Amino acid sequence: MVDVSGIVSGIVEKIFAALTANMVNIPILEPLINKLLQIPLINLVVAFILWKPAFVILFVPGLLAVTVVLLIMIWWERKLTARIQWRVGPKEVSRRTGGIIQTLADGMRYMFQEVIIHRDAHKLYFLQLPILSFIPVLLPILLIPAGTIYAIRSPYAIQIAVALTALLPIFILGIGWSANNRFAFIGTVREAFLYVAYEIPLMIAVLSMVLLYKSGDPFVIVEKQWIPGIFMNPIAFIAFLIGMVMAAGRLPFDISEADQEIAFGPFVEYSGIIFGLVMGIAYEKLYLLSLIAAILFFGGWSGPEIAFLGELSYAIWLFLKAFVLMGFIVMVRAIYGRYRLDQALKFGWSSLLTFSLIGFFISAGWVIWLG
Amino acid sequence: MVRIKVEKPKVHKSVALHIKAITTAFKEAISPGTITIHYPRERRKLPDNFRGLLQLDKEKCINCFRCAHICPANAIQMYQRENKYYPGVDYTKCILCHFCVDSCPTAALKPSKIHDVAFASLSTMVLPPEELAGEPEMWREDTVTVEYDFDGDLKMIKRKEVENLIVEVEKPKRPEFVAGAAFPENCIACRICVNSCPQNAITFKLQDLQTMVLEIDFEKCTGCMVCIRNCPTQTLLPFRREEVLKGGESNEQG
Repeated sequence: MVDVSGIVSGIVEKIFAALTANMVNIPILEPLINKLLQIPLINLVVAFILWKPAFVILFVPGLLAVTVVLLIMIWWERKLTARIQWRVGPKEVSRRTGGIIQTLADGMRYMFQEVIIHRDAHKLYFLQLPILSFIPVLLPILLIPAGTIYAIRSPYAIQIAVALTALLPIFILGIGWSANNRFAFIGTVREAFLYVAYEIPLMIAVLSMVLLYKSGDPFVIVEKQWIPGIFMNPIAFIAFLIGMVMAAGRLPFDISEADQEIAFGPFVEYSGIIFGLVMGIAYEKLYLLSLIAAILFFGGWSGPEIAFLGELSYAIWLFLKAFVLMGFIVMVRAIYGRYRLDQALKFGWSSLLTFSLIGFFISAGWVIWLG
Repeated sequence: MVRIKVEKPKVHKSVALHIKAITTAFKEAISPGTITIHYPRERRKLPDNFRGLLQLDKEKCINCFRCAHICPANAIQMYQRENKYYPGVDYTKCILCHFCVDSCPTAALKPSKIHDVAFASLSTMVLPPEELAGEPEMWREDTVTVEYDFDGDLKMIKRKEVENLIVEVEKPKRPEFVAGAAFPENCIACRICVNSCPQNAITFKLQDLQTMVLEIDFEKCTGCMVCIRNCPTQTLLPFRREEVLKGGESNEQG
């Protein structure tokens, strides 16, 4: 007779011990967590949520942060652009807060809207790809640490994260192909054209910073930034910034979406919550690249420690830096008009590439000078 | 195909332009020059001569039909009420030209600043005098009145007050009339005018056997036109008092 319950409880205890050994320490929530950890079964859930690799994915800088970004950043973009253009922007939903829950209201509307799959669509990919596009969004987050909260530590973390975010356009191409629509086709072709034009300068800019710090490990990068990286290599920052605007499809380069010309390009056939998902892709990519930019150029999670938040304060600092950077980038929408495809391609392959190469040589100069 | 060559700006110039654009955006983001009026909660201050819906004061109306006659869209119809006639407006036809308001001699038809109107159906757009006389049903959410200041940069002046949308109009000055003999050769000396005058302003004097002189005392005459209406030969006509006094023509013979 084997004692099944004994074996199970032993396994559970072992799992629990493994989880609690690597938990996020938040002093302000400690009494509550301690109380919850004494309740059977719930303690497993709590321990799992607070287990650092899970915490990274679920909270900051993972799903919860992405949700906050989607909810706030779209509102902020609309509001700020409206302000610059002497309009008012979203206001009627929750008037006192200036319509801050407008995006939530829109999201709820998407939830209750019918998802239409037209006859010409490749049904499987049409529905799958928007959901699968979360893979390249959430995988890089595993490699982006927030202070002591991290999932995977690797000397190539930044490179892998950038390479994974560069997978997103592949999903957009797939979406455009499966939609089987003329606008989707035009948008897809535009995206395919632009893809290489911005991705190469962006990667060169990232690699020049990696060369500067001599490591792709975010911990090493943050440690080595005795002054923020933006002052060490401003040219690489400008190349990265413009490449980021292009990669995230923000306005001067939202050529593949271009809602006034080709009605959201690859996403033209989507409706309901699936449209909400595909619309979020651009913002998610913007968020990821902002996180990488915050680590590479703005000292990552370094900042005055907030005592009562404990380890969470690092994550908050990283998130805030990324958030402010995003807040600036969405403002570009109000300043510039959309470039034509040929203009953007010419810009990407000539000026931007040159810029990123100059940044690379500046980094090389630093490395030679500092030894 | 015609190709238009645009001169490329120099690098430093284009960089300066980019910086200028970004600083402008920042400036506007911090203190925008928004001039939006949040309409139901705020209302733009309208001038007193704004051409909105019409208002009728039944007490002042003298049934003169002038509004109905002058209406270019034929929107005003006179309704009989208690042996009198009052105007009613068909807003399906009305072009809000306010000719009726201008023509009204007693300011019984008043203008208003109400322009944001909704009717339940086409038939409710035809307003009889009773509805025209009453105040229209209004839901007002506005607490702030906004005025634009056009001097220099466009600015908004906001005041926490509720504007009265119904305009009070002063009664226009009516010209005073007196009766005068326009065609003395018509007079048959019947003396109906003398007898009918409530003020005893008309007198007849025998000049000689053939001629009678009709005298009208303009001081006494109130311009009630009873004599003019009663004259069987249309000898008398109304004249403006100031013209008569200036001309000094007092009496005629018949």
